Amino acid sequence: MRKTIANLFPFYLRVLLFVIYGIFQSTTASYSTEINIYSHRQPFLINPFLEAFTRQTGIKTNVVYSTKGLAQRVKSEGENSPADVILTVDIGRLHVYSDMKLLASIESDILAKNVPNHLKSHDNTWFGLSKRSRIIVVAKSRVADSKISRVEDLANPEWKGKICSRPGSHVYNRALMASMIAALGREKAKAWATGLVANLARRPQGNDRAQVKAIFEGQCDIAIINNYYFGKLKYSEDPNQRKWVENLILIFPNQDSNDRGAHINISGGGVVKHSKNKEAAIRLLEFLSEKQAQEMYGKINFEYPVNPRVKPYEIIAQWGNFKEDQLPISTIAKLSMDAQKIIDSVGW
Amino acid sequence: MSLKLIAKPNYWGTSIAFLSIIIFFPIVALVGVSFGDSDGIWEHLFQTVLLRYIVTTTSLMGGVVILALLFGITTAWIVTNYDFPTKNLIDFILILPASCPAYLVAYAYTDFFEYAGPLQVGLRSITGWETASEYYFPEIRSVGGAIFVLASVLYPYIYLLARTAFLNTPESLIEVTSIYGKSKFWNVSLPLGRPAIMAGVALVSMEVVSDFGTVEYFSIQTLTLGIFNVWIGMNNLTAASQISLFTFLFIFVLLITEIKSRSNRRFNDTSRRQRNPKTQKVSTKKCLVLIAICLIPVLCGFFIPVMILIGNVGAFFKMSDLSEIFLILRNTVFVCLIGAIIIVAVSTFLATVAFAHGNIILQRLANIAASGYAFPGTMLAIGVLISAGLVDKLIAYLFSFDFIFFEPTYISGTLTVLIFAYLVRYLAVGYGATMSGLTRVSPNLSWASRTLSNKFSTTVMKVSIPLIKKSIVAGGLLAFVDIAKELPMTLLLRPFNFETLATYTYQFAHDELMDQASLPALIIIMFGLLPVILLNKLLRN
Repeated sequence: MRKTIANLFPFYLRVLLFVIYGIFQSTTASYSTEINIYSHRQPFLINPFLEAFTRQTGIKTNVVYSTKGLAQRVKSEGENSPADVILTVDIGRLHVYSDMKLLASIESDILAKNVPNHLKSHDNTWFGLSKRSRIIVVAKSRVADSKISRVEDLANPEWKGKICSRPGSHVYNRALMASMIAALGREKAKAWATGLVANLARRPQGNDRAQVKAIFEGQCDIAIINNYYFGKLKYSEDPNQRKWVENLILIFPNQDSNDRGAHINISGGGVVKHSKNKEAAIRLLEFLSEKQAQEMYGKINFEYPVNPRVKPYEIIAQWGNFKEDQLPISTIAKLSMDAQKIIDSVGW
Repeated sequence: MSLKLIAKPNYWGTSIAFLSIIIFFPIVALVGVSFGDSDGIWEHLFQTVLLRYIVTTTSLMGGVVILALLFGITTAWIVTNYDFPTKNLIDFILILPASCPAYLVAYAYTDFFEYAGPLQVGLRSITGWETASEYYFPEIRSVGGAIFVLASVLYPYIYLLARTAFLNTPESLIEVTSIYGKSKFWNVSLPLGRPAIMAGVALVSMEVVSDFGTVEYFSIQTLTLGIFNVWIGMNNLTAASQISLFTFLFIFVLLITEIKSRSNRRFNDTSRRQRNPKTQKVSTKKCLVLIAICLIPVLCGFFIPVMILIGNVGAFFKMSDLSEIFLILRNTVFVCLIGAIIIVAVSTFLATVAFAHGNIILQRLANIAASGYAFPGTMLAIGVLISAGLVDKLIAYLFSFDFIFFEPTYISGTLTVLIFAYLVRYLAVGYGATMSGLTRVSPNLSWASRTLSNKFSTTVMKVSIPLIKKSIVAGGLLAFVDIAKELPMTLLLRPFNFETLATYTYQFAHDELMDQASLPALIIIMFGLLPVILLNKLLRN
């Protein structure tokens, strides 16, 4: 027995060295030409942008991707945080950072010029970088497209058992709910949500892709989705997914001349308050707001540019011009909690 | 009892207390967060969703435990008690589902069972039905579906522990039942296996309560889903950690009840050991029935989902994906190995010392330290983040003195934090296995060693550890597989540019891009198979 224990010892020693190696490997300090990004957007979508950025500026980028909790990470790391840039895919999460006072106020002429006022914070802590619209899709053969022109129409009892939706508490639906509160007030917005839930064909489930699939399968006729899912499915590598959208009509809601326009959400970013590389961090945000990157948002993910001087990617332009809701995007974040409360109480 | 295995309340006890407190600290941090102002959210929750959350969580947990017990104990008993051809193979494949992450199985099954899936398409082409309204088909995205998915992948915990317990049932006691013509299953094996089986049940229920991936995908409103709605949706971490602590207490009370109810019994074996318990020979017909029963859980938890994933990969395979995956595989091996070794070391230390020490407070401390398993991974990760942040503040403070000349190194965002998080979460796996081993070893052996004037440390190294070696290694292998499957903590705590198989799969699976997610998902499963195979070898010899 003594012998076996003696044999184990060098093994433990080796393990210890392995651990130390691992720790050092992961703590190697960042150089001045590197920036560290906390991203809520998946690597496979953000990498092409970062590669282009590195090619143009010589600044290397490091990424941690997570859907949840990164704001808490920045907060607990405090002054020692290695993070320089935050990138998110909706206004809700972006606002959390500014709410927790984790972002630096940025002076940048380029960002000021490229990002319209209603898509950035008044104190210049965060900036919208791409837009996506929450749209309605309907089955061509089963719904006359003239019958639905506003989000409000979805609460019409005529559509009982016809609508599919992902759960209300998903950020995209919560933001839509918040825009309804802003437009109609709490009471009417709740009445709308109650009507919508009463019309659902099935318990809310799946993501936006799954709703399109459900229409294709005949479980329902109408769904609310983000515009880029339509593009992703239509140009999917998977022939089955392409089939799902063949018989769909895409409706930008609330387009009448005296109506408010379709609800939009943004992906965006900000610079961390305790960033050690603010200059390079600002350069990344600037890069993302310029022509090259703005066009990439359309090509890679079928999103709309925020930069008014950049035209939407031709494929999404074909779906038609549409009027956007000009509500300051920060209002949506502020109404998020009220929206969640309504969602809870109507069981969306 | 004045006699103690450890002579004096010395550094052994202190080190246990110290270690337990460090491991428990992230949970303390969450308690700290929960003391903030919850902004009146509870009133809203009471009025709207809380009852639904509680009912759903309880029924999900109850359902999964019952089905997993049914799967696990039936198969363990068949494999232990009967002798039939292919028995060794069956014994081997029964634990394969342990390598499948529940949320990936949920993804695969949804593709398979839903309206456009191959099963319903096939059904329609056979029967001539055309639309969904013409026939009833159970909805996979439901509480029932989640019970099915979770029980199918979690039953191996119960199977493994029950099988070991059944194998070690003293033959003498079984002979007694045959003399009295009583059932050896109900009167001996099952009661004696209770600590082990309940350890399995505890692991299963904690997994269920903390599961996020499956319930999110199925949109089942459990407490864990509620935690995220409150945290992300209402931007209220305070109320979210209050719910998670409430959930934790709920589990805790259940476990305490179980431990209390068996505290007056003794489960260890002082009789002469017989290595091979007798098995029953069975007729061919009965043999087929037994095999069929054993195949059900493993088909549900492993073969069917794996076949579905393989089907997806076949259609969209690119060679270029492989080279990327190789690097990711290296990272995964690294964290799994380090994590499992540390978990084994810590849990063996805690279990053997706390057990021998006899001090009830120390035992409680060690038990509490192993309770991180009951928290949703993301919440635990936040506790770990806060703790690491505090340590860094301390480091920064220490380095602020002028006489230190070198630059401080912070731990936040390093693998150290991630590995620590694994320890906090999966200590229960190692600790549970070690403890169930210890309860089956008579303390007389340790006493004998102490009587021979061996030191306590020598006794542990020479007597206790060799006796429970199997349990310890089994715990380590389970921890290894658990880390390979772990997602939320790895996602949030990892260093820059650090992908594991789970995080890599997630970026696709999150977007319901099952075609891209299937290959890495399969690799996670295959990767988990190696320790599972080792585990099986270990238990059979």
